[in-house]
Amino acid sequence: MATPLLHRFSFFERIVHWVVGVTFVVLLATGLAFAYPALFWLTTVLGGGAAARALHPQIGSLFGVGMLCMFGLWVRDMFLDGQDRAWLGAIKHYVTHDRDKVPPAGKYNAGQKLFFWVQSLLGIVFIVTGGLLWFPELFGAAWLNTARLLHYAATLGGGLFLIVHVYLGTIAYPGTARGMIEGKVTPAWAKLHHPRWSGDRVDR
Amino acid sequence: MPDTLAIKRISATPSALIPLNSLRSGGPVYSKLVDISKCIGCKGCEVACKEWNDLKVEQTTNFGSFQSHKDLSSNTWLLMRFNEVEVGDDLSWMIKKDACLHCEEPGCLFSCPAPGAIVQYQNGIVDFNQDHCIGCQYCVSGCPFDIPRFDKETKTVAKCNMCIDRVEAGLEPACVKTCPTNAIEWGIKEDMLALADKKLDRLRERGYEHAAIYNPGGVGGTHMMYVVPHGDRLEDYSLPAHPTASPGQLRGLNVLQRVGSYLLGFGVISAFVHFLAVGPESPEESA
Repeated sequence: MATPLLHRFSFFERIVHWVVGVTFVVLLATGLAFAYPALFWLTTVLGGGAAARALHPQIGSLFGVGMLCMFGLWVRDMFLDGQDRAWLGAIKHYVTHDRDKVPPAGKYNAGQKLFFWVQSLLGIVFIVTGGLLWFPELFGAAWLNTARLLHYAATLGGGLFLIVHVYLGTIAYPGTARGMIEGKVTPAWAKLHHPRWSGDRVDR
Repeated sequence: MPDTLAIKRISATPSALIPLNSLRSGGPVYSKLVDISKCIGCKGCEVACKEWNDLKVEQTTNFGSFQSHKDLSSNTWLLMRFNEVEVGDDLSWMIKKDACLHCEEPGCLFSCPAPGAIVQYQNGIVDFNQDHCIGCQYCVSGCPFDIPRFDKETKTVAKCNMCIDRVEAGLEPACVKTCPTNAIEWGIKEDMLALADKKLDRLRERGYEHAAIYNPGGVGGTHMMYVVPHGDRLEDYSLPAHPTASPGQLRGLNVLQRVGSYLLGFGVISAFVHFLAVGPESPEESA
């Protein structure tokens, strides 16, 4: 008999996640091209500099909508409780897979929750400064130069988070990505990573 | 030495910050000199600019000024501004030849992310290459004189190119050629500075005690300079008193670029080190 699986992410949640994920990667590629002359060739993936410049804000709009949906979908699960703070204190053991010393997490662990909040903040910075840079004729030079600095700075944070997020979700913790692809995880994975959460059980 | 159009800076390449210096450097360095006190307001220069550069004519309207257009555009690279200002009991026109000043340290070029879209020549001319322009308009916010204009149809930015095709052929720019009073002069920049000094002396003799040369140091000097009769009232001429466009304006960006490279590299390396040191969680634990 097949092991029953647990429901972790709905179809809508997964769509929203991947819209944000894919658009962010494209935005990062074109954005790095604009920020680093040596990487200007990356604009080729969208058909050259002018096309990349035209598409970057449009793809950015999709990213912005995705971010807002994501925030609305997940915000109520993202407030830290006492055990989350204990989890953060024991983050060293989490990273070294020293399971017995890690306080039990709920549907999301404290790291994921902090990731959510920082990423939401970066999302706001992206949307506001991106909007300014999209319509430069409406704003003064001082605003635009500041917006450009902030937009770049947010990208650096976002880029670093993307690397960590992808590494942890795929290579470091096998079975995690499955939750975001199929929407289901194994009970063993859930018990190990999110003991205080037991999803809606589904049979395979 | 003849003008070989040797290149000094190319946008979004290392030469933007460290100017190129080739065997072909050392040719003439030009400047326009605009003597505002000699302008009679004929606007012949505007027409010559449109004609030589084959720029589209735009419908003008009377908005209660002697000025032809309200503002520069991607098809109007030169606009004589006639600011009406009271000097003592008299009304005075504070005339400004509004066009690219061709900065020695061009803010537009420093802020441009598209390689080759903005080129500065050793002779002082800063030219936009629309083929390489991506339409981001960073040059517009990088310019301390508010000169480049975005064309919504072509999605590129345009401005005065100092009639580089004429200069290359040993001719003066079209506006200089047409000016009936020699209010716009053209020549080697050193000669133009010497000429400006003489003009200043004459203006001071005529009672313009604040007459000044406008060749702002904040942008390394310009290759269109003005002789300004009322040098103490630059704002009335719509001339910024302290324009800056040194690479320092974008130093923040350079620091960010470097920090960013290290940060992203650090992310990748840490993930790899974690992979080697700790490795993935064993599959049986999470199966």
